Amino acid sequence: MTVFHVEGTKSSPRMYFDPASRVLEISGESYPENCQQVYEPMFQWLQEFFNKDPQGRVVLNMEIRYFNSSSSRTFMNLFDLLDEQAAQGRIVEVHWRFHEENETARECGEEFMADVRDLCFILTPISDQRPA
Amino acid sequence: MTPELLEYYEHLHSRKVILFFSGPVSQGVVEGVAELMREKLRLEQAGAGVAQRVFAILIEQMQNIARHSAERCTPDGEVVMAHGQVAVGREDDGRFYVACGNRVRTADCGGLARRMEEIRSLSGDDLASQYRLLRRAERPAKSLGAGLGLIDMARKAARPLDFRITALDPDTSFFAMKVVA
Repeated sequence: MTVFHVEGTKSSPRMYFDPASRVLEISGESYPENCQQVYEPMFQWLQEFFNKDPQGRVVLNMEIRYFNSSSSRTFMNLFDLLDEQAAQGRIVEVHWRFHEENETARECGEEFMADVRDLCFILTPISDQRPA
Repeated sequence: MTPELLEYYEHLHSRKVILFFSGPVSQGVVEGVAELMREKLRLEQAGAGVAQRVFAILIEQMQNIARHSAERCTPDGEVVMAHGQVAVGREDDGRFYVACGNRVRTADCGGLARRMEEIRSLSGDDLASQYRLLRRAERPAKSLGAGLGLIDMARKAARPLDFRITALDPDTSFFAMKVVA
């Protein structure tokens, strides 16, 4: 499988998924006009990747400065998908990175964490970026 | 128009308006205004938490207009662009508010008003659990779409959402709301 790479825009994040290291990166902003259009290719890639590589440990590093309510729904779908993988025995880690002053991002991370069961959801405050 | 501009300016200035936008709202406008306000809020020395809330409310409101405004300019019948107004300003107590207005179909107003009243009546905890519930729910086919966005704004608001619906003619009404961050 090839790397999944989408450049970020003002309102959509950069996505970089490496099937060899099984590290997935999503970073930037997320308030696109149409979430489905932006994220559908990512879901398709992930589905194919999980089929081809059913066991290896997967790490998702996620650092979103701001995301709108539609993106929140999309991210929940993403975490549900990863949670299913974890329920089937795969080790899945989500590192939810947020600026230490970005209270909203911290609270959102806590809520996502409360809504998943089997994957390992880790809140990681960082300080090298300006808050929203 | 020339003399009116001073009136507009003075009127907005007296209401401590920092930003006022009236016109077609595209995704590009949302992005441009969002970036501008992020910088402006920094200069206004709003705290990080307040700035994030104002920013989030502003984007939800503008994207609501883009999706739901009944007023659309169709110059060649192809491009459909929503039309609306957005204002960011300060209350007398110094809090920021974000307000928006746009035309809506009168047929949608009953449902919209009920939804707004329902959200106004919910406690912070109820808003949080509704948000988490709705986030997982499949979007109903004929949803107002803004269900989650309205709850998100209510959660970020310091006071219950303020709104008003005014009939313009049998088919269209004007919907206005204000969120105090």
